[in-house]
Amino acid sequence: MAQTPAVLHFSGHHYLRHRLVLSILSGKPVRIDKIRSDDQNPGLRDYEVSLLRLLERVTNGTVIEISVTGTAILLKPGIIAGGSVTHECPLSRSVGYFLEPVIMLAPFAKKPLSLTLKGITTDEHDLSVDIIRTVTLPHLQLFGVSDGLELRIKKRGSAPLGGGEVQFLCPIVKQVKTLDFVDPGRIKRIRGISSPGYALSLLAESTTGAMHSAEAISKPGVPPEEIALLAARSLLAEIRRGGAVDRHHQSLVLLMMVLGSEDVGRCRLGEPTARTIQFLRDMKQAFGTAFKIAPADPSDPESTDLIFSCYGVGYINANRTLS
Amino acid sequence: AQAAFQDTARSRKRRDWVKLIYNSSAAPEEILGKGQTEEDPSQGPSMDDDDFFTIASKAPANVEETLDQTKEPVNPDDLKEWEDEEVLDSIRNLFITGSSSQ
Repeated sequence: MAQTPAVLHFSGHHYLRHRLVLSILSGKPVRIDKIRSDDQNPGLRDYEVSLLRLLERVTNGTVIEISVTGTAILLKPGIIAGGSVTHECPLSRSVGYFLEPVIMLAPFAKKPLSLTLKGITTDEHDLSVDIIRTVTLPHLQLFGVSDGLELRIKKRGSAPLGGGEVQFLCPIVKQVKTLDFVDPGRIKRIRGISSPGYALSLLAESTTGAMHSAEAISKPGVPPEEIALLAARSLLAEIRRGGAVDRHHQSLVLLMMVLGSEDVGRCRLGEPTARTIQFLRDMKQAFGTAFKIAPADPSDPESTDLIFSCYGVGYINANRTLS
Repeated sequence: AQAAFQDTARSRKRRDWVKLIYNSSAAPEEILGKGQTEEDPSQGPSMDDDDFFTIASKAPANVEETLDQTKEPVNPDDLKEWEDEEVLDSIRNLFITGSSSQ
C-alpha cells in the first residue's frame, strides 16, 4: 500500500466538501489554504462556515481552526458521533449541499444519525431532496446501508426564502459490503417527480438496478413543457453516458468501494466527471488506494464505459456502540 | 496539458485513465478536454508584441466562481441534438423495449 501523509494538505476552495469528508473518515487532519486568497472577497463563504459547524456537531471532538482572514482552515477530526442534530442551512445553498457530505459519513457513526435540515430543498447547484431520496439512498443501499435509511421531506422550500425541512435518518454499519456491479442492464422504466414551482426530477432504472437521473429546475416565466423537455433530454444524455451507476454518484460509490472489506470491488462507470477525477486523486492521498481502470468492452469501439476496481481498505466502524 | 488536450481530440476511446488520473498533474477539466479554454493563444511570449508590460494574471474580477457543486450546468443548446430521430435511435439498444438484434 502506498505511503500516505499524516496531514492532508490542499489549496483552494474547490472540492472542499469531499476533502473534509476524507479527513474525518481517515482520521487525518486536513489543512486547506489559499481559500479565495486572490478574490475581491477572500476567504470562506457563509455556507462553508455553516458546513464546518454542521460537521462539528455531527462529530465529537473535532477541532476546527480558521485563520483570521478566513483563507486557511485546519480541521482535526474527532469521531463521527451521529445522534439527533438540527441544522439551519443558510439560504446561499440548498440542503443538498450539506446532505451530500453527511451521507458519506453517517453510516460510520457511533449512533444512528437523525439530521433535520432547514432551508432550500431544490436548486440548480446541488442534488435536490427528491434526487437524494430516490437516487442517492439506493446507491448507498448497494453497500448494505439500508435498514432505516430514509429521507423525509417534511416541507419544501425554494430560493430566496427557503422554509423547507427534511429529516435524514441513517443506520450505522460495522463495515460496508464489497461491490460487484458490472452489468448495466437495459432501461426498464422511467419515473418522475414533479413538484410545481420546484423541478421535474426523472429517474431511469435498468433491469439490473442501474440508475440514471436528471433534473430540470422550474424558472419563472418558463412554460412547464420546456422544463419537461429539458429534463427528458438531460436524462437521455445521462443514459447515453453509460455505466451502472448514476453519474452524480460516482464519488459516493467509489468512496464506499475504497472503504469496503479487504476484497476486490468492481463497478462499471461511464467516463469519470471532473469532480470524480479529483476525488480519486484525493482518495489516494487519504487512503493510499488507487483504482484499476480498464475499458468495459474492449471489443466495442463505440463503448466508453470503464470498469473501476480496487482492493478495499477494510474500513471498520470503530465508533459504533456495541449492542 | 497540451498533450492531454490533443489526446482528447484524437480519441476518447483508448485512454490510459490510470495514468491521466494518478500520474499527471493536469487539471480534471483539462483531462476531459473542456474548460480552461480562455487562454488566448495570442497571449503567448510573442516577440512582435509591442507591449513591454504583460498582465501577470488575469484579474478574476467579475468571473463567476466555480462552485463546489455536484450538478453540472446544463446547456439547452447541447441538448438540441435529441430533436434528431437518428440520435434517439442510437441509444435504443440501451432500453428493454429496443430490439437487441443489431
